[in-house]
Amino acid sequence: MARIARAEQQPAATGTTLVVMVGLGVAFLLFMAFLNVVKSGNLLNDSNLLYAALIFYSGAGTLYLGFGVTGIPSYIRFASLATWAGLIANTGAVAHRWYEAGHPPFASIYEMLLSFVWTLAVLTLIAEKKFKVKVIGTVTMPVAIVGVVLMQLLRTEVHPLVPALQSTWLHVHVTLAMLAYAACALSFALAMMFLIKDKMKTETFLAATSLFSIGTYLGVLTRFEKWGGLSVAAWDPERKSEVFLAKSVRLFVVIPDLGWLMLMVLAAAAAPLVLYLVWRKTGKENFIDIANRAVFVSILLQVLALVFFLLRARDGRYGSLDADGLFSTSLAASPFILSGLVGGIFVSLLYLLLLWRREDLERMLPSAEELDRITYKTIAIAFPLLTLMIAAGAYWANRTWGSYWSWDPKETWAAITWLVYAGYLHMRVTRGWRGRRAAYFAILGFAVVMFTFFGVTYLLPGMHAYA
Amino acid sequence: MTTSSHSAVQKTVRKTWQTLGAIKTGVILLILVVIVSAAGTVILQRPATDADEMQRAYSPQVLRLLDGVGLTDVFHAWWFVTLLVLVSFSIIAASIQRFPNSWRYYARPYKSPDESFRNALPNHTLIPIGDEEAGLNIAERVFHKAGFGPERIVRENSFSLFGERSRFSEMSVYIVHASLLLIFLGGIVDALYGWRAFVTLNRGQQSSQVETQNGSKRNLGFAIRCESAGQENYTDGTPKRWWSDLTILQDGQAVVHKQIVVNDPLVYRGIRFYQASYGKTGKIDKLVLTATPRDGQAPRDITISPDETLPLDPDTTVRLAEFIPDYVVRDGQIYARSSELENPAAHLVVESKKSGRAVNFWLPAIPGFEQNDSSPYTFEGKDIQMAYFTGLEVSHEPGQWSVWAGVLVMGLGLAVVFYFVHVRVWAVPVRNARGQLTLWIGGTANKNKDVFEQRFRKLVEEIESQLKVSSKAGAEAPVASLAGK
Repeated sequence: MARIARAEQQPAATGTTLVVMVGLGVAFLLFMAFLNVVKSGNLLNDSNLLYAALIFYSGAGTLYLGFGVTGIPSYIRFASLATWAGLIANTGAVAHRWYEAGHPPFASIYEMLLSFVWTLAVLTLIAEKKFKVKVIGTVTMPVAIVGVVLMQLLRTEVHPLVPALQSTWLHVHVTLAMLAYAACALSFALAMMFLIKDKMKTETFLAATSLFSIGTYLGVLTRFEKWGGLSVAAWDPERKSEVFLAKSVRLFVVIPDLGWLMLMVLAAAAAPLVLYLVWRKTGKENFIDIANRAVFVSILLQVLALVFFLLRARDGRYGSLDADGLFSTSLAASPFILSGLVGGIFVSLLYLLLLWRREDLERMLPSAEELDRITYKTIAIAFPLLTLMIAAGAYWANRTWGSYWSWDPKETWAAITWLVYAGYLHMRVTRGWRGRRAAYFAILGFAVVMFTFFGVTYLLPGMHAYA
Repeated sequence: MTTSSHSAVQKTVRKTWQTLGAIKTGVILLILVVIVSAAGTVILQRPATDADEMQRAYSPQVLRLLDGVGLTDVFHAWWFVTLLVLVSFSIIAASIQRFPNSWRYYARPYKSPDESFRNALPNHTLIPIGDEEAGLNIAERVFHKAGFGPERIVRENSFSLFGERSRFSEMSVYIVHASLLLIFLGGIVDALYGWRAFVTLNRGQQSSQVETQNGSKRNLGFAIRCESAGQENYTDGTPKRWWSDLTILQDGQAVVHKQIVVNDPLVYRGIRFYQASYGKTGKIDKLVLTATPRDGQAPRDITISPDETLPLDPDTTVRLAEFIPDYVVRDGQIYARSSELENPAAHLVVESKKSGRAVNFWLPAIPGFEQNDSSPYTFEGKDIQMAYFTGLEVSHEPGQWSVWAGVLVMGLGLAVVFYFVHVRVWAVPVRNARGQLTLWIGGTANKNKDVFEQRFRKLVEEIESQLKVSSKAGAEAPVASLAGK
């Protein structure tokens, strides 16, 4: 029997300690926020409510990870409560935003993220209650946290809708998109849970985590500049927007030395994969032990890279290769790099959770067969939503631009997403694909969803420039 | 042709047909569509990207290669269209090949299960009963309450029960695929017969021709006229609303009038006019002035357009000879610095019929050019209305109705696929191996089998408990059994 690689068992802390610590931390942050708010005199604006939601979701995420450290099941219950609290604050934020703007929150990426995170929290709680998958929050809460962090940095001014967005079909299309994407996110989480319960080797998760980190840092390093700097978009602090040299041509500044740091972290993130491959070749167990320690080291370096990035990108003026003089930048100018860095850290932490607490996790999950079935049911919900979303988008495009399908990158990738999930359903129904293969397909589907939602906006400009 | 080559041809045709309808073919075709579409989003596409950008992004050799293969306009390349046509054919072939079996299954319900079926069915049970008719009646009641609407199937010397729900869900897959074909059909019709164009109109201008993307002109068969147009902005200056008042003229007669905005087009004879853009032409449309006569009479407001001559009184006329939105004087000449309304100047020519003199009145009074003191009237600027144009996107998409029909059908089809389950239940009186009278209850569902298993168990429990109740209520002597083998 293959030995399940695990690091030394962490000493069991007292059950209540972590809960009390998290509770105190949450209370402290809320108190500080409240003081700040009293100073500014404006209590219930959506920025504060969102901050409160962030605090609660972070609390929930911490408790899930705390479960990872200690294996105590009551953490899951408190984490669920924290998710509820976060959802209430999030709902308040959505309502406030809607009221202030005069339209539902769909017009900019800030508003869409707000809706997405809200839907994700709702679906997490439904999955816990209805499908009895109580640990689903370990995957969905980090996604929610990344979403809220992103939102704190993006433009929050209520922007009145440009003419093309003043249509009921906008609301229909975007609501369907948010519901569909959240359902796909849930199916992804369930597919991961299935693989855990189906006894997929922890080493395989190690390789996958490492691959994900490599992919993330390769993406970041597409902005590597010749002498070790990293290109980021410039930011105009007065107009609170990016700086454009010409129509849709952004001005980029180079933060020196950041490129080298990212390269170093890439190497650290790749080390576990290399060690995994060596282990595959030679069969010597101690390579896996070293690989697990390497994951730990890579997390520390990833945190270092994040802190460095935060410090450098927040203020400071840098030179540009395209124009003379110094320009400022801001975290709001690099939402994708930031979410990549934070997301990468979370994924690595989740791997450690799996490594240290695998048996406990498996105990808390329904049977593999059940998880496989629930994944299918979730996709059976997501697929019609995707279909309707594409149809509503096509109808809206027809009324606004006179063409229901113009092979715009966003439209094309939405169609590709639809085809992938249609493939999943076909393979399941006509070929009887179950278990592992079905789970891989579900994971692939979500990867395509993420590319459609983020990748197209970040890498491929087009008519869908609003989102 | 000899018989053997004839049948060889037949064989090839049949093989091709079968391959076309195979799942593997469909999967391969769809994977190809995905790869090619993805390439079309990553490689810069013409004509959306202009030629210089293409040359900047790719080296000449790479660009030549991409152009040659068609990767710079993937979605209109002949091989992409062929790929989509093949996908349609594979859907048609797969559906036709599988339909007869499905239809046989759908059209002929299996109402009377035989012994091997009864033994093999996963969800079944045998309940010992005393009286056949009583047992069947109870089963019938329970089936009815559960919504199965059971019917009695008469056999040689007894009867059995059969109930089902949502039989149509067996056909749902064909509905979904048919809807895909409807959508494809719409797309093909639009690709062949649809067109898109653009027309720009100034205020009061009409046109019966529109300009297509490749620059050629297309005749509408009627004229469209812009009565007026405008733009409203938000307080921060971004556009809030663009609108145009349009009139359609058929054979010179105004037949349709509509104010359109973005998202709300004008439709006439299948051709749609969309509000796409709005802008200033940089020329003046109207100038509103206050004209004050020197002889002390009351001042009047006049509105004058470029090159228009207006009478001020029986003797005097005024003409707007020039309007410069942004003037500058250099080397003794008046130049236009830009077309923005920064520093306007108007050149009026005031003519007096009696004296025959024409006086140049400049507003503002530009020294060296103006003769304002000699003018019988003085003018003050009141309002400047710049000329504008409205940009209309024009399209004709005859195939879109097929597309929307397909979308609706697909919505219905998916609803049936996922949410309607074909469930069947039977109750047959049989004698078991020991010759005892039992009631065989069986059921099956075509999806969500786990949920059905639970429901079936509940159904059986209900029947069992009701049998207990009835046997307690009255102990009856066993009636001569009519049960078959």
